[in-house]
Amino acid sequence: MNSIDLKAWHIARKNVKEKIKNYGSMFWTVAFPILMLLVYKLAFSESGDDVGGMINGLTAFDVEFPGIVVYTIGMSTVTSAVMFSMSKKNGTLERIDSMPVSRGNVFLGAVLSETIFMNLQLIIVFVFGYGVLGAHFELAMLPLGYMFAMIYGVGAIGLGIIIASFLRSPEAANGFGMLTHMTLMFISGAFFPLDNNGVFFTPQYWIKQVYLQLTVVGNSFSDLMYRGSIILPTSNATAMPIWGGLLMIIVFTSLFIIIGVKIFQKKTSL
Amino acid sequence: MNVSIKEEVGNTYSDNDQFNNSKNSNEFIIEIEGLEKSFDGFKAVDGISLKVRKGELFSLLGPNGAGKSTTIRMLTTVLKPTNGDAIINNISLINDKNKIKPLIGVCPQDNVIFEALTAEDNVQFVGQMHGMDRVENELRTKALLEKMNIAGREKAAKTFSGGMKRRLNLVMSLIHQPQILFLDEPSAGLDPQARRLVWEFIKELKKTGMTIILTTHDMVEADALSDHIAIMDHGKIIAMGTLNELKKGSNNGNILDFSFYSNEELIKTKNKLEEIDNVKEIKELENNKLVISFTGGIKTFKQEILSWLDSFKTLHFREDSLEDIFLKLTGRGLRDN
Repeated sequence: MNSIDLKAWHIARKNVKEKIKNYGSMFWTVAFPILMLLVYKLAFSESGDDVGGMINGLTAFDVEFPGIVVYTIGMSTVTSAVMFSMSKKNGTLERIDSMPVSRGNVFLGAVLSETIFMNLQLIIVFVFGYGVLGAHFELAMLPLGYMFAMIYGVGAIGLGIIIASFLRSPEAANGFGMLTHMTLMFISGAFFPLDNNGVFFTPQYWIKQVYLQLTVVGNSFSDLMYRGSIILPTSNATAMPIWGGLLMIIVFTSLFIIIGVKIFQKKTSL
Repeated sequence: MNVSIKEEVGNTYSDNDQFNNSKNSNEFIIEIEGLEKSFDGFKAVDGISLKVRKGELFSLLGPNGAGKSTTIRMLTTVLKPTNGDAIINNISLINDKNKIKPLIGVCPQDNVIFEALTAEDNVQFVGQMHGMDRVENELRTKALLEKMNIAGREKAAKTFSGGMKRRLNLVMSLIHQPQILFLDEPSAGLDPQARRLVWEFIKELKKTGMTIILTTHDMVEADALSDHIAIMDHGKIIAMGTLNELKKGSNNGNILDFSFYSNEELIKTKNKLEEIDNVKEIKELENNKLVISFTGGIKTFKQEILSWLDSFKTLHFREDSLEDIFLKLTGRGLRDN
């Protein structure tokens, strides 16, 4: 990979234009977060006490709301896997390779365009979830929550790049990406809490916990940073300060991006 | 210039002769030496060497799987050669491929376009990747799309006909005014009218001094456009030169194409043809077909064979063509692959 320059921005613009003109994809970009929110609202509308007494004063919907955020951002795994495998299949990646543009620009362009759509979906989730369905929310913590969600989102794109490295067909990338995303959502306890040590090995678990503490339970970042706050699934007590979770998100994101780029480069540099 | 190339290059098939005939190496914009590409032990391109002069149109002619596209993919920096090197405008493909990229334009064999974008967006994107100035990019895009009859279409490229996509594919390779243009089967799948338009356009590009490397399996196309032709088969260059040189070198004479209703008819005629002195060569093809090369005039030969010929399906006399040269060199037709 060579230098990264303005060309990454042009690639991102091109990717966004392509996505916007794919009306089917755009419909689901908007509709899926709303559908998920409605399903969650219907499933978890009782108070926390009624469903196991997790946190006093909050409904199960409030507590599970971060799961929807994680799910929404994690969909980037699927969309980036489809985008990269499509560029392999239809030859556009090879065409770009013959132009004076580095792979660094191609990856950054993809991350930028995917981030734009992640933001669009997050805005829908926030507006509909907090504004319409009334989920509990600490507004002051939103920027931080948003920032960490975006870091996780970049990791989700990295996971999509790993998947696209091994698959040439966008259909297969869509199917395998969705399978990976959904499996990770379930085994991380991001959909439904799980009492299992396996959750520690999923980025979804950490982002959900961090997001939960930041925007639903907590109201002071400095407090959360220094006292134990993340609820570990193997214990009912809070046991880990939030920075531990942030570190895990950064580690997962870095790993996914580095591994994704390395494998993709190896598989597509002929 | 092109005329001098034809005069300078020798008359035989050896690719080394092209090197030997070089009077001034600076005239060559591409110099390929022992270029090779293997895929899991299979040699798709088997150590080819050739030189292309600045401003000429050089065709790689051969059947599917001959190694033409693999050669182009190596020269356009997307495929790493297993062995050998190419010096493009004094830059080594192996050592400095990133410096070659701004100099080249590539029109791939398949229509590699961004289907969801408009024609204008597609072309301008390529311009942006080449770092073109915005205004220049817009103006040139408009002019090129008008030239190729695809201007003013606001719909996504996926709604275009096959011919329009092919022309868009070509325009995308030209937006940055490359010094060297690689055209991989540029008129494949086009109707005759669109093909003619593309040919005329390629001829115009040639007049601007652009060096063009073209791959084709269409002899008529190679014949109509090329200054030099290299015939490839099984990853190797089996003949190279101008069209006239190739024809002269093949020494085929005139050609008679025969087809028969049955193999019995074919064998009977073949046996009789073998007894005629001025029949130089008889090639038997699939579907009861014979290709005969002969010396002397067509009229005399025609009268002679019609005097004893019993039955046949079709009979066609013509002059030697690239197809015949290929047939002579490989023992099979270009379309038999």
